[in-house]
Amino acid sequence: MKKSYIIGGAIIILAMVMAMYSFQSTLTPYVTVREAKASKGSVQVAGIPVKDTAKYDLTTKNLIFTLREDGGDEMVVEYDGPRPGNFDEVTKVVAIGMYQPEKDIFSARELLVKCPTKYEGRVKGE
Amino acid sequence: MNNFGEVIMIVGLAAVGLSSVGYGMLCRRADNSLARNVARLSFVGFATLVTIASMLLMHFILNHDFLYSYVARYSSRDLSLAYLFSSFWAGQEGSFLLWVLLGAWLGVLLIFKSGDREPQVMLIYNLNNIFLMILLIKQSPFRMLAMAPPEGQGLNMLLQDPWMVIHPPVVFLGYAAFTIPFAYAMCGLWRREYDGWIKPALPWTVFSFITLGAGIIIGGYWSYKVLGWGGYWGWDPVENASLLPWLAGMALMHGMILQRTRKILRRTNFVLAAFSFLLIIYCTFLTRSGVLADFSVHSFVDLGITGWLVIFMFVFVALFLALFTARIKDMSPSAQSKTMSYFSREFGLVLAMVLLCLSTVVTGLGTSAPLITRVLEKASKVSNEFYVNTNLPLALLMLLLLTLVPLMTWGKNSPAKLAAKLTWGAVGAVLSGMITLLSGYPDMGEPLLSLGVFLLALLAGGAVGMNLFLAIKLIRKKVTVGSAAIAHLGVALMFVGIVSSSAYDRSEKVLLPQGSVKSAFAYDIDFKGPKMSRDGKGVRLHIPLEVKKQDTQFTALPDIYSERARDGQVKRFVHPHIRRGLLADLYISPVDFDPGKEKAAGTDMVLRKGKKMRFHDYDFTFTGFDVSRMMGKQQGTHDMTVGANIQASYKGEAPVMLKPVIAMGQLHTPASRVKLPGPEEAYLTLVKIDAGAKTIGLVYDGPEFQEEKDTEDSLPSVIAEVSIKPGMTVLWLGTLLILIGGCMAIPRRWGK
Repeated sequence: MKKSYIIGGAIIILAMVMAMYSFQSTLTPYVTVREAKASKGSVQVAGIPVKDTAKYDLTTKNLIFTLREDGGDEMVVEYDGPRPGNFDEVTKVVAIGMYQPEKDIFSARELLVKCPTKYEGRVKGE
Repeated sequence: MNNFGEVIMIVGLAAVGLSSVGYGMLCRRADNSLARNVARLSFVGFATLVTIASMLLMHFILNHDFLYSYVARYSSRDLSLAYLFSSFWAGQEGSFLLWVLLGAWLGVLLIFKSGDREPQVMLIYNLNNIFLMILLIKQSPFRMLAMAPPEGQGLNMLLQDPWMVIHPPVVFLGYAAFTIPFAYAMCGLWRREYDGWIKPALPWTVFSFITLGAGIIIGGYWSYKVLGWGGYWGWDPVENASLLPWLAGMALMHGMILQRTRKILRRTNFVLAAFSFLLIIYCTFLTRSGVLADFSVHSFVDLGITGWLVIFMFVFVALFLALFTARIKDMSPSAQSKTMSYFSREFGLVLAMVLLCLSTVVTGLGTSAPLITRVLEKASKVSNEFYVNTNLPLALLMLLLLTLVPLMTWGKNSPAKLAAKLTWGAVGAVLSGMITLLSGYPDMGEPLLSLGVFLLALLAGGAVGMNLFLAIKLIRKKVTVGSAAIAHLGVALMFVGIVSSSAYDRSEKVLLPQGSVKSAFAYDIDFKGPKMSRDGKGVRLHIPLEVKKQDTQFTALPDIYSERARDGQVKRFVHPHIRRGLLADLYISPVDFDPGKEKAAGTDMVLRKGKKMRFHDYDFTFTGFDVSRMMGKQQGTHDMTVGANIQASYKGEAPVMLKPVIAMGQLHTPASRVKLPGPEEAYLTLVKIDAGAKTIGLVYDGPEFQEEKDTEDSLPSVIAEVSIKPGMTVLWLGTLLILIGGCMAIPRRWGK
């Protein structure tokens, strides 16, 4: 049984080390627009979409909009996906992705949208 | 004052409390028949009251009694009967009520089934019900408004799907059922029956596993079918909240089978029973308390129950640890475990359990990332790569075990004999490897990840081959003994589906102007023009697409639904069209719809301060508002004019400063036009300013540009995402087999 404990222990330790490493490297911290523009990794930025800026770029077919955070700083966000359901009137949007300095655009791979009122979206069994 | 519904809930809490007192007395003296009667009757009373409360809420929903806040928030008059039913569990309060309701009914069954363990099992089971009742009194579904609104806010469009009617009840049945193995485990500790609790608890564990599993699968299927993002699993906290207890429960189920047949893992199973149950409470805490509000697609609002959820968690942890540590000395590990061979079925199963627990821990770690990082620095979540990177190696080992372990017998096995039986596994792996290489070595961006996915395909193929062979062999002998092989075949097929749908998913966005045929993946797609229909409270924009490929032809009907909710928000919902195929699905999801331009002239543009913008032959830079004009009042009126400074240049020539102004106030003075530099008779009018956003809106007035006359621009057009998703059918087949295998195991485990 001793040996099996060692094998099991080794697997567990190895897995945990890998997990911690991956945990560190995939963390996407909440940052400001200014920090996002300075960072090289994946981050998330919260703000509101500036009214009437959301449109589709016909060549890339990506959604483009201007995101403005609380302090007033803005950046252009590009998102490869459908415009979220109530995008024109959301109170808060969180863009998760990476800033691309060469295009001066924030490439979002995920958008979280908050509605002002209530417990929304999928009510799954939590 | 409390209303009738709230009074019923309070009486219900009293009833389940009384039942617990009765069971508490029975735990001390088992022959106290008065206590037994009180305990049972008050539990039945509790179940009845909860049922009445649920019927009452349903009654209010069906009769549109919007005086009740919950009814007003989640239903409306125009909903069909089925969706009125699902309004019941569309919000936090109602879904807690559903949880208690299903728990109460299961409890009645448990009284009959638990035999002489009834006092202890029901005491623990009741404790959970007491906690849920407290939550329901704290956040009551019967809270009333001062005045009934004329119409309710209605049910979220996304939830108006048949699968979403049944999804929550199935999940909550699983949630409620996971309390039962824990209750039995606590009973086993209490009565020092360290092995005896396994037999009656095992069918309940399998039942919880199937129900929660079915709930997860229905959720994934709905997500694929309805949400239009093309996926079925997004590692969202809400999804993980069902996955975590399910994985832990899977480990528990295997552990219990091992303890029954081999008399090992006594201590482990107690811990696992507690672990899977506590995960349910922990995940409820994560998703319902608002701690992850900024990190989930779902806006969870804290309804003031966070503190209570933390208290419940601590109470259960403390109770378990107290009882477990008190008994641990008494509980000798069984003799068998010392002689376990590394090359045996029992060791393989233990390893599988370790892997399942590791997967639970890493996934839980990722889900809790915002909580963990909040303590250290800024709260952050992990990206989905974390879940993939950590679970992939575990899945590889799991599939390896899934191929080897079913071949092994209890006790020592000889590797040589085992290798001889591996034929079908090898065939499966080779076949899968060949198919993978023919479709192209997976490209996941990182070489290590690609290798992992390739290995996953090989091992999943091997596991399919081996378990298919075993399932057929066992079913021929006797149908029910094949349950494990069928479930394992399901897991292997599910992984085949996961690999093919995620590594070989091809997707392309196409711009489809009305009337011209575009092609994607050898499909010719012809957008026939939009059709509108009023549907409920909103407008459904049908996007009929004629899809042709060689001799097959069909009409795809994706649509975009928009509705204006009570609170004035416009919500859009995109519905994909899925053409299912045995090998691959064709998935067409509308991304955006452009109704076309009625008039080519009068192009609007928005300039942001400091940003250069190109507009056909011109370059514009908005440098700032004209402050001197901003203060100026026109004589005799209260109008104010605001100017904007714009640097304009024609075809790269030297820029000219333009100063268009806009009048703001009561008088509608015509806005002044400014001429653009260059030879054209072109003007710019300032029509809109936004000082906060530092943007201005301009209208161009001048010669039309060549491309604007293009017919494509003035016709309606659609941007659609067209994807080929291989292996989806295999994936759903696999998940179905997991459930079927599980269902086959229940009568077998219950009978013994």
